[in-house]
Amino acid sequence: MEVKETLARLRTEAPAKIAAVESIEELDELALQVVGRNSPIAAGRRSLGQIPPEERRDLGRAINDVAKELEAIIEARRAELASVEAAAALADDAVDITLPGRVPRRGTTHLVQQVMDEVVDIFVAMGYTVATGPEAETEFYNFTALNFPPAHPTRLESDTLYLEYGDDPEGVLLRTHTSPMQARYMEQHEPPVYLVVPGRVFRRDQVDATHSPVFHQIEGLAVDTDVTFGDLKGALDHFAREFLGTGIETKFIPHHFPFTEPSAEMHVYANGRWMELLGCGMVNPAVFEAVGYDPDAVTGFAFGMGADRLAMVRHGITDLRHLFDPDQRILEQYR
Amino acid sequence: MKFTLDWLGEFIDLPTTDPDEIAEALESLGHEVESWERINHRFDGVVIGRVLEVGAHPNADKVRVTKVDVGDEVLDIICGAWNFEAGAVVPVAKPGAVLQGDFEISQRKIRGITSNGMICSESELEVGEDEAGIMVLDADYPDASGRLGEDFATLLPENDVVFDVTITPNRPDCMSVYGLARELAAFYEIPLEPVGLEIDGGAASTSVTIEDTTACSRFVGREVTGLTVGPSPHRIRARLVAAGVRPINNVVDASNYAMIEFGHPTHAFDVDRLGKTVVVRRAADGETITTLDEVERALLPTDIVVADAERPVAIAGVMGGADTEVTDDTTGVFIEAAYWDPASTLLTSKRLGLRSEASARFERGMDPEFCRRAADRVAQILVETAGGTVAGVADEYPAPPDPVVIDLFMSEITRLLGIELDPAEARSLLERLGFLVEGSDPLVVTVPSRRPDVHRPADLIEEIARLHGFENIPARLRFGTGVGLGHRESRIRALRSVLVGAGYHEILGFSFIGSSDLDALQLADDDPARVGIRVANPLRDEEGVMRTTLLPGLLKAASANVAKRVEDVRLFEIGKVFLPGDGELPDQPDRLGFIAAGGSPARWDGPGRPSDVFDATGLWDRIAESMRLENVTVAATQRPPFHPGRAAEIRREGDVIGHVGEIHPSVAATHGLEGRVIAGELSLAPLIEERATWQFSPPSSYPPQVFDLAFEVESHVPAGAILAAIDDASEGLVEGRRVFDVYEGDPIPEGRKSIAVNLTVRAPDRTLSDDDVAPIRRAIVDAVETKTGATLRGVV
Repeated sequence: MEVKETLARLRTEAPAKIAAVESIEELDELALQVVGRNSPIAAGRRSLGQIPPEERRDLGRAINDVAKELEAIIEARRAELASVEAAAALADDAVDITLPGRVPRRGTTHLVQQVMDEVVDIFVAMGYTVATGPEAETEFYNFTALNFPPAHPTRLESDTLYLEYGDDPEGVLLRTHTSPMQARYMEQHEPPVYLVVPGRVFRRDQVDATHSPVFHQIEGLAVDTDVTFGDLKGALDHFAREFLGTGIETKFIPHHFPFTEPSAEMHVYANGRWMELLGCGMVNPAVFEAVGYDPDAVTGFAFGMGADRLAMVRHGITDLRHLFDPDQRILEQYR
Repeated sequence: MKFTLDWLGEFIDLPTTDPDEIAEALESLGHEVESWERINHRFDGVVIGRVLEVGAHPNADKVRVTKVDVGDEVLDIICGAWNFEAGAVVPVAKPGAVLQGDFEISQRKIRGITSNGMICSESELEVGEDEAGIMVLDADYPDASGRLGEDFATLLPENDVVFDVTITPNRPDCMSVYGLARELAAFYEIPLEPVGLEIDGGAASTSVTIEDTTACSRFVGREVTGLTVGPSPHRIRARLVAAGVRPINNVVDASNYAMIEFGHPTHAFDVDRLGKTVVVRRAADGETITTLDEVERALLPTDIVVADAERPVAIAGVMGGADTEVTDDTTGVFIEAAYWDPASTLLTSKRLGLRSEASARFERGMDPEFCRRAADRVAQILVETAGGTVAGVADEYPAPPDPVVIDLFMSEITRLLGIELDPAEARSLLERLGFLVEGSDPLVVTVPSRRPDVHRPADLIEEIARLHGFENIPARLRFGTGVGLGHRESRIRALRSVLVGAGYHEILGFSFIGSSDLDALQLADDDPARVGIRVANPLRDEEGVMRTTLLPGLLKAASANVAKRVEDVRLFEIGKVFLPGDGELPDQPDRLGFIAAGGSPARWDGPGRPSDVFDATGLWDRIAESMRLENVTVAATQRPPFHPGRAAEIRREGDVIGHVGEIHPSVAATHGLEGRVIAGELSLAPLIEERATWQFSPPSSYPPQVFDLAFEVESHVPAGAILAAIDDASEGLVEGRRVFDVYEGDPIPEGRKSIAVNLTVRAPDRTLSDDDVAPIRRAIVDAVETKTGATLRGVV
């Protein structure tokens, strides 16, 4: 009878003790006393041999029932404590999440390069080929092949940078536009030609808010059997909408370039006013003759635009000098 | 070119006076209006007054006290000018008037006496340049005295506007008020006043002979006698000032006025200082002339001169001589109006560095048919303003050129513009611009002599298109037959994104450098980068030489950033350098350059790490791996401007393609850079060469064997040699090798070092057992020992 009473008392008292335990370590200790080797349950089991066999079965079952019940309570408590401890460990691991993260450093492509790439891509999507050419150029390709008369003011040393190279003091120059590639490309390729040429160009200008001795252009040329001024307008209108937004307004006004006839400037309405965006025109027959094309068989249009200017117009840059400033705080804006 | 609306109005009756509308019309014709400005607003508060009394100031002897009747009151005004007396009619700025430069007139005391306004000079009113005295109105504006108190502006053309128009170089015919009036008349379809003058007057006292008819196809000399040199009337001076021309005297002003009016430059010689036989000829070798600007100039036979029997008196089309210049005592002039050949005018003006308003016009091509009227217009003005009498004329025009006649087929218009025009419509457009047109298809078009820019059908089509209106040509979107971006451009973009991904910012440096920039690099004497191609006409010394390397620009860029306290500078540039070559043009290879200074700064989570040479070689590895470059090697090199012990030469298939490393500390210091600065410069072409398509290789799914080997080797043996030996012996089974320790010092003997490598060995088709790995390990150790003289220290 004594065993049964002990078990009953254990069954009554143990759950509260288990619930009161605050760590898995304490629980392990307690478990030894409740269901382990030193427990009344172990003692009860050991005593089974000394009791009469007819009682042994009932008592054994009773001991097992209590043991199972208490073990379940212990395991439940263990799980509870484990989750509390895990939560505490995570809480200890918490950080100030507003501290700056580790940002993998990323550089930037220069804004003017981005603009050139973007413009090139717009024309590539319209079926143009990309080519580039020399920056130190012959007088012939820069001027003569493009129908610049010998007296054209741009040829003057006040406007064009010449190089001390070769025998002719005015034979080699820094190209003043990307247009020489029109002549070079046509000499090397039969029509049709759909060409876009990004590149660096030079003028003998003092650096100021709107001038630089180095700047960047994108040249275009389309030559085929039936290219018209209407096609020129179509291509450049499309370009303006792609580059500046679908709502952009354009207008074409007459201008003069030796290598196009008729010649025009495209103006766009931006930042509250009309401004010149690019020069263009129908390829002058004299240029076709200079490169060996038959002006009666083909027509074409050409255009040239300043990449630096496009960047300024679109991104609200009022001083060209910013574009040539290597200040990393500027470059970081070119994301 | 600048001119006033009032002047324009002498030739056309415009349907509008709105300057914006007129500017828009000019722009649609191809004449860009830079700006327009109303000039009368300058005169608010300025009225006409008459000086009643002039008296001395009791406390000042440089000024006088006046009483001026301004209609409704008499004002006491103190005045510092002495060119007038009582009775003079003058412009008076009353208190409250605001003159140029935001100069507000107010009542103020001058040495104890109150002045109630200001009597104005021409320059104060911006109607002239005369600053010497106040503007006396009586002579030029006789009716002014009857209008005391009225606004000064009422004397001037109403609402006058100054336009500033840029004339494209193909349109010399538009470099005049009349030329633009003609354009606007065509635009608005309104009548244009005819020029109409041609004065008779018998033969001139001076004879003219043209020896060189190529350089001069026509020479007109018109004589005007009995004139008095003095100031021009205010009306003429005001128009000249508005046009940006300084009034000089009535003779010079007449020539300038006529040039702005009709475009054709003229030159007035003092007829009494000029010989009686004028010749147009080539200069003789050794001949000289002192030009109007008082500079003696040596002439060459390529120069064309106007000469009398004794000496050259003018450089044709460029500038007159001082000897025959009009002076205050001149009473008669010989007015030259010639057609000077554009090419020879340019040659001379360029050679002498003497570009004048006249030469700029002759260079573009004046109208030979207009010479006579140009000279006569000056004569006419002189009659009005200098009291002269028109005398004789010499007009040499030995071979008037045939007019240009062009056949223009209607199909050609359609072919170029994409629109169908009715022949009558095309004809009318051309006729409005002064072309003579006959026939219908082709239109047979005679080009006016003032249009040197028109000589083929495309030129006429431009005229038609511009008057028809570009906006009336419908746009059409067509697609081309091109082949897109191409391999080269795609690869450059890929390379750029490698640098961007490594934290580098692209810069666009100038293509020139200063001559001292290469010295600052301390390059070796035989370094090809030392020889830069010079710019013949640089604006600044910093732009004197074409760059032979990207490094000077990058160093300056890094330095500029460091000076601004920017941390962790990383910059790159892709661009051309210029080197002497064998061809017609310099060699212009593309390069990639980069620079980094500073390194990553300390943060809350760890210390900073300054950049060093391994950032440079690491960046190179990134480039090589991203661009899939094969057969590239890195070896130590001693090459300025790099640090002799911290730089690498990069070879691809044996060719040096570039260098990376730390910049030599003294070069860095020269550029104001402290600490380790890393940089590199590489040829672009091998980096972006077309690569064979890469082939996929599936990763092994078997477990690896991982072990470490530590070698002891002489200090000078590069780690690269040990890694190369490992690679050679790996038989494709070494999946990864990583140098994880390099150590010198105890217990390693002096002059030797330890290099420890972690190896991952894995087979594609099976699990490697210890027995499998043992021979591989042995082969690797043997190879390293044999090739580098190393000894195995044992498994670390």
